[in-house]
Amino acid sequence: MLLKTKNLMKAFGGLKAIDKVDFELPAGEIRGIIGPNGSGKSTFFNLVSGVYDPDPGSYIEFDGHDITDEPPHKIGALGLSRTFQLLRLYQDMSVINNVMSGYHTRVKYKFFDAVIGRKKIWDQEKEIKDEMMELLSFVGLADYAELNASELSGGQRRLLVLARAIAMKPKLLMLDEPAAGLSPVNVDNLMKIIMQLKDKYGLTLIIIEHILKVVMDTCNTVTVLDHGQKIAEGTPSQVKDDNAVIEAYLGKKMNDEEMRKALAV
Amino acid sequence: MEKFKKIISQYPFLGFIIAYLILLCVPTIFFTDLYQSHLSSLIFVNIIVAAGLNIVKGYCGQVTVGHVGLYAVGSYTAGCMFMYLGSDLWMTLPAAIIVTGLFGIAFGIPSFRLEGPYLALATLGGGEAIRLFIENGEFFGSTYGISSISQPVIFGVPFDTPDKYYYISMPVMLIAVYFSYSILKSSIGRAFMSVREDPISAAASGIDIKKYKILAFILSAMFAGAAGAVYAHLPPGYIHPNNYTVIEMVTFLAMVVFGGLGHIWGGIIGAIIITIVYDLTRPLYEYQLFIFGLTIVLTILFMPKGIGGFIDKIFIDKRFKKKKVEEGK
Repeated sequence: MLLKTKNLMKAFGGLKAIDKVDFELPAGEIRGIIGPNGSGKSTFFNLVSGVYDPDPGSYIEFDGHDITDEPPHKIGALGLSRTFQLLRLYQDMSVINNVMSGYHTRVKYKFFDAVIGRKKIWDQEKEIKDEMMELLSFVGLADYAELNASELSGGQRRLLVLARAIAMKPKLLMLDEPAAGLSPVNVDNLMKIIMQLKDKYGLTLIIIEHILKVVMDTCNTVTVLDHGQKIAEGTPSQVKDDNAVIEAYLGKKMNDEEMRKALAV
Repeated sequence: MEKFKKIISQYPFLGFIIAYLILLCVPTIFFTDLYQSHLSSLIFVNIIVAAGLNIVKGYCGQVTVGHVGLYAVGSYTAGCMFMYLGSDLWMTLPAAIIVTGLFGIAFGIPSFRLEGPYLALATLGGGEAIRLFIENGEFFGSTYGISSISQPVIFGVPFDTPDKYYYISMPVMLIAVYFSYSILKSSIGRAFMSVREDPISAAASGIDIKKYKILAFILSAMFAGAAGAVYAHLPPGYIHPNNYTVIEMVTFLAMVVFGGLGHIWGGIIGAIIITIVYDLTRPLYEYQLFIFGLTIVLTILFMPKGIGGFIDKIFIDKRFKKKKVEEGK
């Protein structure tokens, strides 16, 4: 198992944002996480990536390491990369620097080499830059490399965040609503790029998405959360027909008698 | 020209050697009196401080207003070492760098929890505390300051006049700028920038935020310490607590902001311009602070990235447009 959580819990005050979620993800899989707003999807991501500390009793394991109480940068260094729902781009940095800062954990030279400015630094910097330019041209942003990230359009920003997350060559990539706010054509384009990247780098993916078409088309399995609890898990077609899921999204199906009772009140 | 650019980008060290050779010739060609040499030494000192301040403020985004306190620590380490041990610049400079670096840790720790204006207040308090401590300490020469600090002697030649001291301050400045250049152009500089832009997403990319924050403070403190030591030995070798007030801090900030936050060459341009203007307008002492304050406000409003960033932007836009035109064809 690449990622495993056991009894994962997180409460904000009295609200149980994540309530005893057991989650297992084998390597190579594309997993979708869906659920209504406020069901704890993003909290789940934040717990796994270390942004929030899980409540006592929780257990998270990534790639054989216990990461329950690790700080986010250590989890990142283990090869777990993520994007954010609100992007969190480095607005005031050039596009190429955005991507190159994602490369941080793979930089080989030592601190003192950089202070003295040895030749191998500049050689390696050039290598990194070339590799990152290749990645940028793969997602179609090579022309904008020198511009500030704040000068990009919404769709381009989503691509840039994706490229930045890929730059560290992660084992597991967690995408938090990668297609939010995109037009249908752009969504297809983005998903195509994501799938190509997955094959190219041998990624395992977790995708949170509200666009159900994306989830149903691309994911191998889908996990459904509601009120912090895992209510269903299975292939997209299984989940689609699951009563608990339909209830969570659309409300309960009532028979005549229940309907009459509800209306009488 | 293209070939030359390529060589420089591979060996940035060469660029600094060329700069050294040029600066070596400047006094003999252009300087007519001692005042100009003295002013250039002052400029070099300020460049070192600005380069350091740019690391912590421009790159790492930590608002520090206590930097002048670290500069004072550097100066007084050098001054006291001279007064009690009789050391010369070659001893005091490394010692000042190390001692100031340690003080930098103390200034950096609040940045783990404080941000923006709150951090500014904390560091302001730290800087002022250091100055008051010196002013009231007999050990540091209190309000008399420390005077006639020795100038270095190389092969029996004393560098005791401003025109000779130029040849001491200039290489120190170049080495400092070279260090700041190579640090900031490497992955460390990028890590600083990501911490400035978005700590949460930087952490997700595997960047240890606390480590880089404290590193920025230590590095910039070391620069301030070096500058302080060079300033202490600057002929006639006199340091006084009044040289390390908030007013000085404002001029340092004005240099970095005016030249360009997060822009290596910008800090240098800013240091040169502000030092010269500051010295030429000494007769208008009452208005100096007003003018520098206004400069900071106006630059932030109309040129948020200072001169350096502004010029950079013009070139970047030009290249981008050129690329688009080529594609159009």
